[in-house]
This record gives sequence, structure tokens and C-alpha cells, in this order.
Amino acid sequence: MFYDLNVPWSADDPEVPRTLSFLHELGYNEVALTHTLSGKIPADVTCPIPKELPFSTPEDLTIHRRCTLVLSDPSQNHRLSALSNSYDILALRPTTDKCLQQACQTLECDLISLDLTVRHPFHFKFKTLSSALQRGIKFELCYSPGILAVDNNARRNLISNAIQIIRATRARGLVISSGATRSVGCRGPWDVINLAAVWGLGQEKGRDAVGREARSVVVAAQMKRRSYKGVIDVVDAGEKRAPKDQKNKKDGAQKRKADALQGGEAEAAKLAKPAPALSKREQKRQAKKAKLDATVGNNPIQQVTETAKG
Amino acid sequence: MVRLKNRYLLVQFLYPSTDSASKPSKDVPALVEFHQPSPPTLTAAVLARAIRAETGYLFGDYGAGMTSGSLVVKYLSPATSTAIIRVTRAHYRLVWAALSFMTSVPGSGKPCVVHVVKVSGTIRKAEEEAIRRARNMVLRAKKQNQSGFNLDLLTESIPGSGDAGKESRIDPAAGVMDLDDEDEDEEGIGAGDSTDED
Repeated sequence: MFYDLNVPWSADDPEVPRTLSFLHELGYNEVALTHTLSGKIPADVTCPIPKELPFSTPEDLTIHRRCTLVLSDPSQNHRLSALSNSYDILALRPTTDKCLQQACQTLECDLISLDLTVRHPFHFKFKTLSSALQRGIKFELCYSPGILAVDNNARRNLISNAIQIIRATRARGLVISSGATRSVGCRGPWDVINLAAVWGLGQEKGRDAVGREARSVVVAAQMKRRSYKGVIDVVDAGEKRAPKDQKNKKDGAQKRKADALQGGEAEAAKLAKPAPALSKREQKRQAKKAKLDATVGNNPIQQVTETAKG
Repeated sequence: MVRLKNRYLLVQFLYPSTDSASKPSKDVPALVEFHQPSPPTLTAAVLARAIRAETGYLFGDYGAGMTSGSLVVKYLSPATSTAIIRVTRAHYRLVWAALSFMTSVPGSGKPCVVHVVKVSGTIRKAEEEAIRRARNMVLRAKKQNQSGFNLDLLTESIPGSGDAGKESRIDPAAGVMDLDDEDEDEEGIGAGDSTDED
């Protein structure tokens, strides 16, 4: 299973259905459409991404709805619980050192997704990042801005930030996703793993970053929203069994109906064909007779009349 | 004497975005559109030069120097947009990363995604995979074909098309690594041309 947890979404973007089917073609199984919020949170925080998308998507591609909230002011109240209830996944994008600390230590979210294309004025410290990892929050690396970048600086910053995050998290709890605004920015899962390997993450860790870690983000987010105290979740409530009597009754009715049908058919056959069905014995007898007649060399007319009689 | 160890990258060029000039009709399935033929300007020499340039761009003189000695485009089929690239085992990841960073087809500016579908220690395995994928491709295209375009001629010639049709998509989780270094006979490439016809 491969996951791409960051596909930017906007209502009037014609590229989204293409990107989704292209990701499916590349081999991804689960994708999250991202709606980005920045600045002040609007009063109405319902998710603008419809549950049933207005276009057809590949059948075996699961689609989640995600919100990325850009944090720039640590003193602001973000009403995260309201936000997280209307989306499947909630990601934070801190832009300052204070916000990063706050996001790692206190704020309730599923994913921390730093903007890797800019040079951050602060260092990523293991102490800060590990407190997030201990709370089950993962860090996200988006590779697509580096691929689509026109200037070298964005690409350089992406690689340097990625390496710093890999170092500061000790290569734990990392998720790699595309963040591709155009479908050309997507890469196959194994290409991504190779990129991670070149950046020093290692093949196994890279495989986990597009697979297991991403899955744990999705599952943990689901547990937070749906389960009882994040511990117990009803996966399948089962279905009430149909009472046995009813089933028998139904069968019986069918039988009778079938009987009636058969009887009707037989009657109709009788009406249409007056000659009753021949028994095996009778058939044999007739065959013998015909054979005898043939050896004698009788005329065909006699034979016909005889069979008609029989 | 120690043999030179190589990796063979089986590469597919995918075209995710439509160019406005030749926008195909809605009937063409997305699958066929992604796997459309490459422009005729893409040749083996052009591709090799582009890979060298991209490696040099990403990894500098070090990367270019480390890989360019062994880098050869062994096979290129513009019809199926497939290529097999040989590169030394020690630095195949650099070339792979360079391929990932390509955003347009060498030779023309058409936007494309280079997808490495198989890394193999022998050219024969890469070639077998190419044939298998080309066959699967045709069967899947036929399955998705809704416009009534006659593809029977194509699928008729494919052996085992009955059971292969069930497999809707090549399982990516199976991995792209097939690193058996057994033997690498260079004769395999003659047969590799047969992927064109599939």
C-alpha cells in the first residue's frame, strides 16, 4: 500500500481528477486531498471538499480529506478541535520557531508539514521534534515543490531542510508526500523512495515513509475522530440474522409456487400433445419392431402409421 | 578478473498533462493518454545526453563523472515510451534521482514524468518486465476502451491474454528491485526489440 497524503485541492481546479488518476496509475492506493487555510480561521469551518467528489475517480483509490493550517501567530486560538472534526486529517504548517514548538508540544494535530522550499531562520532541535513524535505526530516532507521548482534555491532549500529534518527526527516518524499542484510533479512511490535514499534516509525508512508511517497517520486520525476515547472503535457491528422460521416459510412458499408452475406446465403439455410420454419398455419394444420391419423390407408408409399408432 | 557490475533501469515516460494543441477526445481512457507514444525527437543519443546533463546539474561534476563512463541507453522504444538504461551499480541511485527530477521529454519540451518501473541486475529480466508490461497495457486498455475502437487485432496476437486480463494493475508493492547479478549476457538486446510489436 502506498500513500500520498498531500494533493492540493481547490474547487475550480480542472487538474485534480487527472492528478488522482495519474497517482493511481503510478501505484498509489490512498490519497488525501488538501485544503489549505491560513491567517484567521473563518467562522464556518466545514470542509469544502465534498464527500462524494463531483468527478469519477479510480475505483480502488481511497480518498481522504485533509486540512493544512498555516500557523504564524502562536498567541492565536485556532479552534483545532472544530477543524479536526470536519476533516479526516489535520496538518499544521508552522512558520516560526515558536509555532513549531507549540505545534510539537501542545497543539492537537495529526501531521506537521513544514514548508521545505524556504530557508527557515531556526534549527530543528531533536528535543522539540521528539516531543511531537512521542505524541504520535508525524513529520511530512513534500518533494514536489523541489521537482517543479524553476529556481535552484527552492530545490537546494528543499534538500537541506529535508536532511535537517531527517537528522533531527533521527529518521523516525517521517511521511513523504507529493504536494503536487500539477500532475507532472508526482512521482512513483519507488522513485520517491530512491530520492529519500539519495538524501540519506535509507531504503527501508523511505519505504515506511510512503507506506507504514503514512498509514499510521490515517489510522490514528480516524481513531481520534471516530473511536471511544481513542481506544475502542466499532469496525463492523454485524447484522441481525434473519429468523430461521421466516427463511423456511419463504422456501416453502417458493416450493409451492414452483409446484404450481410445474403442474401448470404439465397440464399445458398434455393439452398440446395428446400422446403420453413413452415408457422405456415401450420405447424398446417399438425400436425392436422397427428393426424387424426394416429387415423384412416393408414400405415406409406402414412404418409411419405404426409408430403413430403406438 | 572481476566483472563490471551494472544495473539496468527499465524506464517509462508518462504524459500526465494534455497539451492544449492536440487535446484528445474524452473517449480516450486516461490510461492510454498517460502511456501515449513519445515524440519522434526522442532518440537514444538525445536521451543519454539529457541524462548526463541532468546528473551533472543535480550532482555536479562528481555525479556526472561517476556515472557517465557506464551510462548507456540500451533500448528505446518511442512507440511504447519505454527505455532500458545501463548504469554502474555503485551509482545507479544518482542516475535514478536525475531521472526523477526530469520534467520534460528530452528533445522536445513536452511535460512528462519519468517512472523507473524496474531495477534489474541483468538486462534479460528488464526486458521480460518490459514485455510483460506492454502486454498488460494493451489488455487493460482494451478493458477500459469505451469508444468502441477496434483493438481485437492487437490482443489477438498476445499469448495468454485470457488470464492476464484479470490482472488489472501491476502490483507496485511487489517492488522494483530485482538485484540478481547472475550473468549479464549482452545478447539479450536483440530480442528486446520485440517489445515494439507487442
